[in-house]
Amino acid sequence: MNLIVCVKQVPSTTDVRMDPVTHTIVRDARQSVLNPFDRFAVELAVQLKERHGGTVTTLSMGIPATEGLLRDTIARGADRAVLLTDRRFAGADTLATSYTLSLGVQAIEKYDCILCGAMAVDGDTAQIGPELAEQLHIPHATNVQSIDEVGADSLTVTQQVDGGTRRLRINRPCVLTVVRDIVMVRMPSIRGIQRSMAAEVRIWGADDINADVNRIGLTGSPTQVIETYVPKRQKQTVDLCGSIETLSKSLMDMIEKNGGGAHDTH
Amino acid sequence: MQALIQPFSHEYDAYLRDESRRIGKADSISFPQSEADIQAVLAACYQDTVPVTVQGARTGLTGAASPNGGHVMSLGRMDQVLGCRYDGDTFYLTVQPGVPLCELRKMISSRRFDTTGWTDASLDALTQLSRAKEQFFPPDPTETTASIGGMVACNASGARSYKYKATRGYIHALTLILMDGRKLHVQRGKHTATGRKLTLWPDGGDPIHVELPAYQMPKTKNTSAYYAADDMDAIDLIIGSDGTLGVISEIELSLLPLPAFVHGVLCLFVSKDTAVSFVENLRRSDEGIAAMEYFDVHALNVLRMQRKTHAAFSSLPPLAPWIHAAIYVELHGNDESDILARLNTIGDTLSAVGGDADHTWVARNASDLDKLLFFRHAVPESVNLLIDARKQKDPDITKLGSDMAVPNEHLRHIVDYYADSVTAHGLQSATWGHIGDNHLHVNILPNDMAQYDAGKKLFLEFAKTVSSLGGSVSAEHGVGKLKADFLPIMYTTEQLRQMKSIKAQFDPKGLLGMGNMFETSREVDAV
Repeated sequence: MNLIVCVKQVPSTTDVRMDPVTHTIVRDARQSVLNPFDRFAVELAVQLKERHGGTVTTLSMGIPATEGLLRDTIARGADRAVLLTDRRFAGADTLATSYTLSLGVQAIEKYDCILCGAMAVDGDTAQIGPELAEQLHIPHATNVQSIDEVGADSLTVTQQVDGGTRRLRINRPCVLTVVRDIVMVRMPSIRGIQRSMAAEVRIWGADDINADVNRIGLTGSPTQVIETYVPKRQKQTVDLCGSIETLSKSLMDMIEKNGGGAHDTH
Repeated sequence: MQALIQPFSHEYDAYLRDESRRIGKADSISFPQSEADIQAVLAACYQDTVPVTVQGARTGLTGAASPNGGHVMSLGRMDQVLGCRYDGDTFYLTVQPGVPLCELRKMISSRRFDTTGWTDASLDALTQLSRAKEQFFPPDPTETTASIGGMVACNASGARSYKYKATRGYIHALTLILMDGRKLHVQRGKHTATGRKLTLWPDGGDPIHVELPAYQMPKTKNTSAYYAADDMDAIDLIIGSDGTLGVISEIELSLLPLPAFVHGVLCLFVSKDTAVSFVENLRRSDEGIAAMEYFDVHALNVLRMQRKTHAAFSSLPPLAPWIHAAIYVELHGNDESDILARLNTIGDTLSAVGGDADHTWVARNASDLDKLLFFRHAVPESVNLLIDARKQKDPDITKLGSDMAVPNEHLRHIVDYYADSVTAHGLQSATWGHIGDNHLHVNILPNDMAQYDAGKKLFLEFAKTVSSLGGSVSAEHGVGKLKADFLPIMYTTEQLRQMKSIKAQFDPKGLLGMGNMFETSREVDAV
């Protein structure tokens, strides 16, 4: 099976710090990471390759530094990687991103199945997989938790749906988006890392994939994020001291004062 | 005063024990919230000749915080960070002794502190800290709920002490409250001994004249005695003194810039001999190694067993049957290509000793580092679960762990000696620890009290062997009550007398930390 896995670089933490003097957000100095959902997609693809033969190519649209994360996927068993990077890709919403990725997919040699993580943890839209499938005019299934059978022309997968699971047969080639925690993600070995440093990562810009500049980046995005902000949280702390009897009475008084009943306590 | 010192009652039973599970006894308890409180309680106990045992978070493994009667002073409510300082090169924090390490780490990492009562100078230093490269407090004992005061009292260390050494290296100043209530402030670089003679000046009253013991510190990690060296810094006498000289009421500690890259590598071996060869070779080559941790076949087998039955461990990768030893190596550095070169060195070293660079798990991001950390903690946790199951049949059973270190040249010998001795005595064990420092924890897993007693006797033999090799009978846990029997093995009667004489200078009535370090089980039984 020849598999393509679409992956995304995301910030390593959503914890936001403010500079106490300038009150601006301090950008976290830690490394960015591979979107957690995509890690499972890569591992699933590598396991399929090991079982059925073939190749795994990881594909990402990102900044130049994303190359490091793509090499990490090779260290974990992918065979090759492609990075789509160009200033003109910046500011892309999911429509422009899926268009760009579809061009990357078409520039890679034939494929049987494209895997994506169900969503990216920084955007949470879960739109890329289905949009990519539509761009490529191939079927898709979302929230896949397992690939149960691999046939010559189709795959049988189990999907998570509201209230349960659903097994369905889907024709190849197709796009599958996968949920988390479905496989144990392997860690790379030293040998794997050495292989990944020697491997070729193809780096393509907008011109290399014949992109229509009106359909990429901010220009090609009918939607735009207006604001991302840290929600204000309020916390009040009251210190209680004293014997067990005193503390019990204080707690009960507080519960009653705040609308709970004494009969609700244990 | 009446409110500070409370009579002991069953609601405080948890304060009779620490992680050694030793259950002590006490007549009264206090929870000071300030240095004035500490002084008042100590002065009252001094006047009434009441012994005092000091506690931080009670995470110690030697019974040092478990009282032998008298008064228990719990410093858990003194948990504030009082200020910050920057000298142009290094950041310092002044903390109360009850601050837990895990909370301190969160504060340093987030750079968010409760700054109530901070001076303007501290607030300015905090602003600089917010803008500086991320900092960290290097000492890393496994139990992160340990209090900073407790860590200072036993000179705690952890996996990363291979590179960063123990707590001692990061304590710049401290305040000690003596048993008579007087305050002694010591700052590194300001008070030093002349040869082996040291004079300290508490607030008020007579100075303390100390004749430092004549012994040489072993060339290993060591928490088995008072620190002593020619022209030493006075602060080093207090650090690691196991709650026997005074109550540490305030600490100024230093931070280091966090390395830009932290990589972890779990190397899997077919035998302990190959693992030891790997350590001996790797140690020669490099300064970027922050930790080298060992897991023997018995430790891995307990983990394998628990992995099948406990859901908590099911997320760990399976260990293939051929794996009979594992070494975790942690690399710290600021240059990515440098760290990569070190990974290659590890790979080459593995090949040179008959290992395989394919049989490694490498963590290069926080998520994978957490997995390896979970693995490392799963080993002692799975042993604890095994002991808990055995306690169902015999409630007195507990795990026995050694904490001894030898100089580098004796590593292979001690690894074989531990394994062979345990087998020869018909006991079950699991061994893991800081192999980079030749400091392994041999954990005896008794099936009954007869095996428990046999294990305790075996540790006395270990102590003799380790001492004969120039090692330390307590490398990081301190002595407390449970290891007081080892001191007469490592030190001569005269050396012990010299140590007791120091204590007598600080605590003439002998009230502080009664049973820690000096009263061996024979002396206690006699009382």
